[in-house]
Amino acid sequence: MKTRSFLFLTILMVLFGAYPVFDSSVANAAQTNTLSGEIPIGAVWSLTGDAAVYGPSQKNASELAAEQINKSGMLGAAKIKLITEDDRSTKEGAITAFDKLIKEYKVVAILGPTLSNSAKAADPIAQAAKVPVLAVSNTAGGIVEMGDFIFRDSLPEMLVQPNTIKQTKNKFGYKKVAILYGNDDVFTKGGYDAFKKALDDQGIKILATETFNKKDSDFSAQLTKIKGLKPDAIIVSALAEEAASIMSQARQLGIPASVPIIGGNGFNSPKLAQLAGPAAEGAITGAAWLITNDTPGNKAFVEAYHKKYGANPDQFAAQAYAGVYILADAIKTAGSSNPVAIRDAMAKIKNLDTVLGKFSFDSRREPVHAPVVQIIKNGQFVLFK
Amino acid sequence: MSDLPQQLINGLWQGAALALFAMGYTLVFGVLDIINLAQGATYMWGAFFAFLCVTKLNWPIWYAIPAAMVGAGFLAVLLDRLAFKPLRSLTSGGLVLWAGFIVFLLGAVGNLSQDIKWVTIVSGALIMLGGFVLDYRSGKPLRTREVPHLAPIISSIGATFILVSLAISQFGAQVSRFPPNLFPVKPYNVTAEAVISPIQVLVLGLSLGLMIILSFLINRTQMGRAIRAIAWSERTSRLLGINVDYVIAQTFFISGALAGAAGVLLGLAFNRLEPNMGGEVELAGLTVIIVGGMGSIGGAAIAAFLVGMIRVLSVAYIDSSFRDAFVFGLLILVLLLRPSGIFGRSKTVRA
Repeated sequence: MKTRSFLFLTILMVLFGAYPVFDSSVANAAQTNTLSGEIPIGAVWSLTGDAAVYGPSQKNASELAAEQINKSGMLGAAKIKLITEDDRSTKEGAITAFDKLIKEYKVVAILGPTLSNSAKAADPIAQAAKVPVLAVSNTAGGIVEMGDFIFRDSLPEMLVQPNTIKQTKNKFGYKKVAILYGNDDVFTKGGYDAFKKALDDQGIKILATETFNKKDSDFSAQLTKIKGLKPDAIIVSALAEEAASIMSQARQLGIPASVPIIGGNGFNSPKLAQLAGPAAEGAITGAAWLITNDTPGNKAFVEAYHKKYGANPDQFAAQAYAGVYILADAIKTAGSSNPVAIRDAMAKIKNLDTVLGKFSFDSRREPVHAPVVQIIKNGQFVLFK
Repeated sequence: MSDLPQQLINGLWQGAALALFAMGYTLVFGVLDIINLAQGATYMWGAFFAFLCVTKLNWPIWYAIPAAMVGAGFLAVLLDRLAFKPLRSLTSGGLVLWAGFIVFLLGAVGNLSQDIKWVTIVSGALIMLGGFVLDYRSGKPLRTREVPHLAPIISSIGATFILVSLAISQFGAQVSRFPPNLFPVKPYNVTAEAVISPIQVLVLGLSLGLMIILSFLINRTQMGRAIRAIAWSERTSRLLGINVDYVIAQTFFISGALAGAAGVLLGLAFNRLEPNMGGEVELAGLTVIIVGGMGSIGGAAIAAFLVGMIRVLSVAYIDSSFRDAFVFGLLILVLLLRPSGIFGRSKTVRA
C-alpha cells in the first residue's frame, strides 16, 4: 500500500513538473490569432463543503454572464464555453480542478477558486502553465504576489477598510474605539491588521484590543471589559457566525445602540442579519459592491439574476459576474485565445465599465475601484450615508 | 476594575451550567469507575432534542427543556447498554440490541429511498427495544469478563463519534440556532453597571434547583442509597439483593438528563448549536471533576464555579489567548498539590 501510493505520488509530481511546460508550448503554437469557435474558460468554485454558502452564487452569476456575452455577440463569431469544477472547499480539490482544466480542457483562463486558502495551493499550477487566473473572491494578502499570471477583481481588506473608517468617522465623529478580533484565523487577523493601520493613519485612539478563538461561543468577558472602557465605537473582525454571537451578546450586556459596531469582510454576508436577528441592526461594514449601487449595468444584472435564479445576487455573485466580463474584454482586446496574449491584454485594462464600477488593474494586478460602506437596516444591507 | 461585578456574573452563570454537566460526569465515575467521554455527545444531543421540539413540534421552550432532559437521559441509558454493559457482562439481549442498532444506523444514514428508510429505522428501533428487554431480563450473562480499565474509555470515544456523525447527518455541520424571540432579551439591572439577562437567570436558577434535587436523591432516597452501595461494592450490593443493572440504568439516566439540561441551557444562552459543541465543554468538564475530586458531586459543583470564574476573569484581566492555559494550569496545580482533588476522598467513602 505504502509503496503504491508513493509510486502514484511520484508519477503525479513528474506530471506536475514536466507536462504543463510541454503542453502549453504545443497548444500556443496551434492557436491562431483569429477569434472563432468555442473559447474554453475554467471556473473553480466551492460548491460543496464549508464554503458552499458562497460557491453557488458565483456559479450562477458566471453562467449568467457567459450566456449574456455569447448572446450579445461581444466576441464576434467566438463563444465562451464556461467549464465549472467543484473544489469541495479544499486545497486538494482546487489543485485537482486546476490540473483537469488546464490539461484536459485546455482552458485559456481560470476564474476562482472561491477561497484564498485554495488559491494559494492551486494558483502556482496555472502560473507554471502560463494560464491567467482571475480570482473573484480572494481577499487575503499574498494572492497576486504568486506570479504575473494571477489577477483579482475582489478588493482586499487593506483597500476597503480605510474608506470604511473614513466615512464612519465623518458621520459619527468617534475618537476612541475598542477592537475585538479572532487571532487564530488568517482572514480575521488580516482584517484586524487592515483596521489597525487605517485607525493609526487617521489618528483614532485604540482603547483596547481583545481577541478570541475560532468556534468560541462566549464573548461576554471581552465585551464586558470593552463596555467598561466606554469606547465611541467597536471594531470587530470576525466570521459571520462569531460576528452574530458578538452582536447579540454586546446588546444583551447593555452596550447601547449609540455605540456603532463596525465589522470587517466577515460581516459582509446576508447571514449576519439572519443569525443575529434584531441585534444585527446598525452593523456597518465596508464592501466592494452593494445591490443598490448605480454602477453601469448593475440594475440590469440584479434583475436578470433575480429572474433566472429567483433570488437576489450577493457581492460574491457580482464579483464573479464582473470577472467574466473582464475576461471577455481581455479576450476581445487581445483578439486571440492565446493565454499569454489574454494575460497581457488583461494587465492593461483601465476604467472598464463593470457592475463593480469603473474598473482598472494596477501595476500589481490588484483591482482598483471605489468601495462602498453599508449598514444593516431592517435586516437588509443598505448604503451607509 | 469597575466592570468586576459584571464579570463575576458572567463567571457565575457559566459555572452553574458547567456544574450541571460535571455532576452527571462525576456521578457515573463514582458508581462505575468509568469515565464516560460520550457525556459531551449526550450534552449536544440534549440541545438538539430541544431544538427539534421547538422547531419541528412548535413546543414552547418550557416543555422542550424537560423533554430534552428525558431524551438525553434515555440516550445515556442506551449508551450504557451499547458501549459499557457488554464490557461488564455480555448477554444475548445485548447482541440483539447491537444488531438492532446497526439496522437503525443503516436506516438513518444509508442512502435509501424514503419508504425503505423509514421501514429500516422503525424495524431497527423495534429490534433494539426487544434486545433491551431481553438484556434486562436475562439473569445469566453469556460471559462475564474482566476488561482492561481503558476499554470503556475507548468505547465511549467510539460512541462519541457515532453520535456526532449522526447529528451531522441530520442537522448538517453548520451552526443551527433557536428561532429568535423564544426568550425575552431585555436584561435586568443588578447594579447600575452590571446586567443579567433572563436566560442567565434561568440557567442559574435551574442549575441550583437541579443540584438540590440531585443531592436529595443521592442522600435521602432508597435509590440514592442503592447507588451509593454499588459505588462502594457492586458485588456486595448484588448479594444484598439490589437490582444492580436497574440502578446503573438510573444512574446513567440522571447523568444524561443533567448533561442534556446543560446542553439546552448553554445552547439557548449562546444560541449556537453544532454537532461538535460537546468537545469544548467536555474538556472543561473533565478538568472540573478532577479538580473537584473524582466521584465527588459537591466537589464537582464547587470546582465548576471555580473554573467558570477563572475562564472569565483570565480573559477579563489577563489575556483572552491564555484562557484555557489558566484552566489547565489550575488542573496541574491541583494534581501536584492534592492528586485526589480538592474534595477527593478515598474510594470507600465516595459518592
